[in-house]
Parts: sequence; structure tokens; C-alpha cells
Amino acid sequence: MDAFAAYTIIGLSLGGVFSLAALGIVLIYRTTGVLNFAHGAMGMFSTFVAWQFFYGISHPFWPTWLSTAVAVVAGLVFAALLGLFLEFAVFRFVRTRAPVVKAVITIGILLALQSTASLIWKNNQYHLPIYIVPQNWVKTVAGVPIGANYIVIFIVSLGLAFGLAAFLKYTSFGRSMRAVSDSPTSASLWGVPVGRVSAVSWMLGSVIAAVAGILITPFINFDTTSLTLLIIDALAAALIGGMVSLPLTMAGGFALGLLETYPTIWIQSIGFPRLIALLVILAVLILRNPRGLTVAAER
Amino acid sequence: MTWRLATRLLVVLVLFGVLARLPVGFDVGFRFDAALAVIWAFSLLSLVLLTGYVGQISLCQATFAGVGAYGAGMMVATFHADYVVAIAVGVCAAFALGVLVGLPALRLHGITLAIVTLGIALVFDRYVFQDHIFEWFTGGSGGWRVDGARMFGLRMDSTTHLLQAYFVLLALFLLVALLMVNLHNSGAGRRFRAIRDSELAAATMGVNLTRYKLLAFGMSAAIAGLGGSFYPLVAGTVSPQPFWLFTSLQLAAIAVLMGVRYVPAAALGGVFLSFVPDILTRYGHGMFLHRIPYDISYDWFSIALGVLLVAQMILLPDGVWGDMRHRALHTWSAIRAVRTKRVSLA
Repeated sequence: MDAFAAYTIIGLSLGGVFSLAALGIVLIYRTTGVLNFAHGAMGMFSTFVAWQFFYGISHPFWPTWLSTAVAVVAGLVFAALLGLFLEFAVFRFVRTRAPVVKAVITIGILLALQSTASLIWKNNQYHLPIYIVPQNWVKTVAGVPIGANYIVIFIVSLGLAFGLAAFLKYTSFGRSMRAVSDSPTSASLWGVPVGRVSAVSWMLGSVIAAVAGILITPFINFDTTSLTLLIIDALAAALIGGMVSLPLTMAGGFALGLLETYPTIWIQSIGFPRLIALLVILAVLILRNPRGLTVAAER
Repeated sequence: MTWRLATRLLVVLVLFGVLARLPVGFDVGFRFDAALAVIWAFSLLSLVLLTGYVGQISLCQATFAGVGAYGAGMMVATFHADYVVAIAVGVCAAFALGVLVGLPALRLHGITLAIVTLGIALVFDRYVFQDHIFEWFTGGSGGWRVDGARMFGLRMDSTTHLLQAYFVLLALFLLVALLMVNLHNSGAGRRFRAIRDSELAAATMGVNLTRYKLLAFGMSAAIAGLGGSFYPLVAGTVSPQPFWLFTSLQLAAIAVLMGVRYVPAAALGGVFLSFVPDILTRYGHGMFLHRIPYDISYDWFSIALGVLLVAQMILLPDGVWGDMRHRALHTWSAIRAVRTKRVSLA
């Protein structure tokens, strides 16, 4: 194995996080028509809740795996409650409004969540990451340390994506969700509980964002802004999938992860990967017409 | 000159007289805020043009202002140019970037345009304004220092002559605002609003979509850049922090909150964005009832802005200024109706 293979593993795990975040965006967008700019911020906030639990309760007396488990569960429960809250406090009142109006509302939510987090956990400050598997499970390949965390991210993102796809395909509630995403009006005429469906998709999307946030903490500069800014990579991955297709979104996330990782072999720059994400967005939007976006615009 | 134009000119002159006199009594901090308020009001005015008139969404207005600021700072710090030249360069740089951003906007609209402009704001925030490749433009991590800047031979730097810079800024802002109000019913303004209402219908009626969309983006970026190019003069330095992604998001939020279709809302928003955080950090700490300590920081402003935006989108879709305007017009017509009724009864 050489450096190229090592960077491939890093890129795939980064891509796994992108595709997880993108899955949440696509799920919420299809069932409720809201393009959620606050998705990164929601994931960020839940991740910090988990972080607070992890370092708040960790004690030599407890085994580390127990405090990790408690922290992750707390973060995910908080994420579900946050999604539920947003649906009932905000988006229930704007269901019939234009997609642009809903998107602007999510910008307000982004600002509020971001500043609340920066108020509680202080902006631009280094925080110790959350390690799902111990930090010292590392194998150095061609000078690049490959932690077990990378493998965990890859497996969890693939597993969650397949789980979500199976849930949408085989359960009756998943069928209602697909019905609502095709047409809310006709779904409600057939007796599908549209309100309950959108509440569940907000909860699911928020939980998936939290999973992505918790998994990525060891690999980024873990502060309040960088997780919020994950939104642009997630949007790029979601646009590759045309805002509709889950498999394409996953593939797009992994491709984007690789695209953003390989240049770091030669270019040492924090901002360069963002440029790649922007170019991918531009290429996707200009070369093909995203079907999902037009579908929502015609609602 | 029509009566309407004469009235508008009169209003602008009176406003200049009042607003130019106001900060004379302020201390240095609030004088800086007053100048900064006009700079952000320019950025909000550019959103009134782009979103309110033409209906295009942009989440990168602070980027345009930043390009104007860095262009002007580079001209003064590297080439020791007169500040007028620096402003011209800053505005041209912003205009060029605006037209570039407008190119993808020819095929996109609504949410997709928001995504692209968000990406552009992020790229400039994290890459262009901070990477060492662009040091010739951004002056490295320290940014540019602008001391002893001169405009037409008059000294106008932040430390001693801040009010002079404020007067020039205010005069320019009122001029651009007057032009914007007049643009609303001019030929170009009608074409802009036709694009906003329906691009398809506008194209059918013979509006050249390519030309007018690019023109709108270029003009909007130039307005934001004009305000931004004064930033080095007012603050003395340029750094990436004021022009980062979250400022762009705040600008979009404030423009919508105040009423994105109305020119006066831009001025209101500029004052809101510049003064409220400073007042909060200055007076927002102490003891409540001599018992409970509290400390309201900048973050509270941003939280309030987000919550207010959500509430406003649900309750007052036309923004604060728009809602006030509707209420005033409604009250005025009600009063007139009562008057005519009285006359007819008599």
C-alpha cells in the first residue's frame, strides 16, 4: 500500500460523512419541500450536546465505552427532539409557502443555532473530539496514520444508507414517506398522515446529521463553525443525486470525499477543498437539470 | 423636473442634513458604528436591487463588499494611490465578480442560486481571503493597514478624520438610494421587476434576460463593493473576519427581516446591524435588580436575528418596513374616508 491508498481510505471516510449529511438533506427536502441550509448547524448542535455529555460525565470510574455510548445516545435523542421541535414550532406553519421562503427560514435557524452554540461552547476554540473507537487503534500506512475511526465511519454511513433505503422501501411508514415525497396533496387524499410523515422525516434527518457530526469530530478542526460549514459539501453531494436519488447521493458523497482528499497530497490549504465543492455544485447544476428541484418548484 | 423627483431630492437633502449632524455628538466608538452602518446599508441596498427588484437570491453580498474592501486596501497599501482611485478599483473588482457570479445565475434561480452563492461566499471566506496564494490581493494574514489615506488631497483616515469619511459615505449612500428609488419605475427597473415576476413572461415580452440579469448582478455587486471599499478607510485595516460567510447570511437575514423590496429598509437594516451589537456589548452587562448578573454579548444579537427572521417569515412576509408602510397607508386612507364622510354628512 502506498500513500495513494491511504488517501483513498481517508477520502472514503470523509465521503461517508458527506453522504450521511446529504442523505438527511434529501430526506427532509423530498418529504417536506424544505431545503435545509441549517442541516450542518443542527448536526453541529447535537454533536456539541454529545460532546458535553462525553466530557461532562467521563470519569476514571466509568469505562470509556460507557460514557461514549451515553454521550452518543444523548446527542441522538437531542437531535430527534430538535427536529421535532422545528417541525412543530416553525415548519408546520409554512407548509404551503414557496420553497424559497422555507429556505430563508432555515437560514434564520442556522444563525440562531450557530450563535447559541458559540455562546455556550465559545467560537473558534479547540475542543477535544469524541472517539467512537479508541484513538490508539491506528495503523500507519506509508507515513499516513489510518485510525479505526475511518473504517467505522465508512461502515456506519453505508449501513445507515442501506437501512434508510430498506426502511423507505419495505415498511408501511416508509411507503407513506415516499407517497408524500411524490405528491403531498394526493398522499393526504389517500389518507396518509402528512403531518406525522414530515415530523418523522425532520427527526430522522436531524438524527442522521448528528451521526455525521459525531463521526467526523476527530478529523476536522472541531469548533462550532466548521461543522456548520459542512453544509456546502453535503449540498454538493445531494445535488449530485439530483435531490431525489439516495444511491446517487451516496455515490456523490464518496466521490466528493475522494475529490477533496486527493489534492491535499500536493496542496496544503484549508480552503481549497471548498473550491472543489463549489466547482462540483456548479458543474452539476449547469450540466443537468436537477429533477427534484423542479418537482418541488411545481408544487 | 417633475414634482415627484423634486420632493425626493428635498427629502434626500433634509436627510443628509439630519444624518450628517447626528454622529457629531457621538463618542469614537459610536462614530465608527455610524460609518459602519452606512457600509452595511450599501450591502443591504445591493440586496434590495438584486432580491427586491430582480428576484435573484444571493448569499454572498458580504463577499462582494470584501472584494471591494481588499481592492481598495491593495491600491492604497501597495500602490499608494489616491483613495478615489482605490474606490474605483474596488468597485470595478466587485462589479467584475458580480458579473462572474451572474453567469451561472443565467441558468439557475431560486434555491439553486442560493446554494451556488453560498458556495461562493464560503470559497472566498475560507480560500481567497485566507490563502497565501492570494497574498497580493489580501495582504497576507494581517491584511492591509491603511494610514493617512487621502481623497482629493483631503486627509481621511480612521483615527483623526473619521467624520469626513462618514460625510462622503453618507452623501454617496443617499445618492445611490435616490437612484435606486428612481430606478423602480424607469425602463430598466420595469424590466427588472418583470424578470422578478416571471422570467418566462419577461423574455416573451422582449426583455433581454442575459443582459439584464448580468447587469443586475454586476450593479448589485458594485453597490456592495462601493460600501466595502470604504471599509479600510473607516476601520484602518482590512481583515477577512467582517466579510466572512456568516456576515453574508446575516445580511440576507436582515434584508428580508426589514423588507427586501424597500430602499429605506436598507438604511434601517444597516443601523440595526451596526449599532445593536455594539450597544449590547457596551451596556448589556451588569446586575439585574442588583442581584442577578447578566452578560449580553454579540451572540445574543445573532440569536435574536435568527429567531426574528423565522417569526417575521411566518407573521409579516413583507418585512418590518413593508408592514409599517402598509399600516401607514391603510391608516391614511381610513382617515381620508372618515373626512369625506363628514363632509358629505354636513
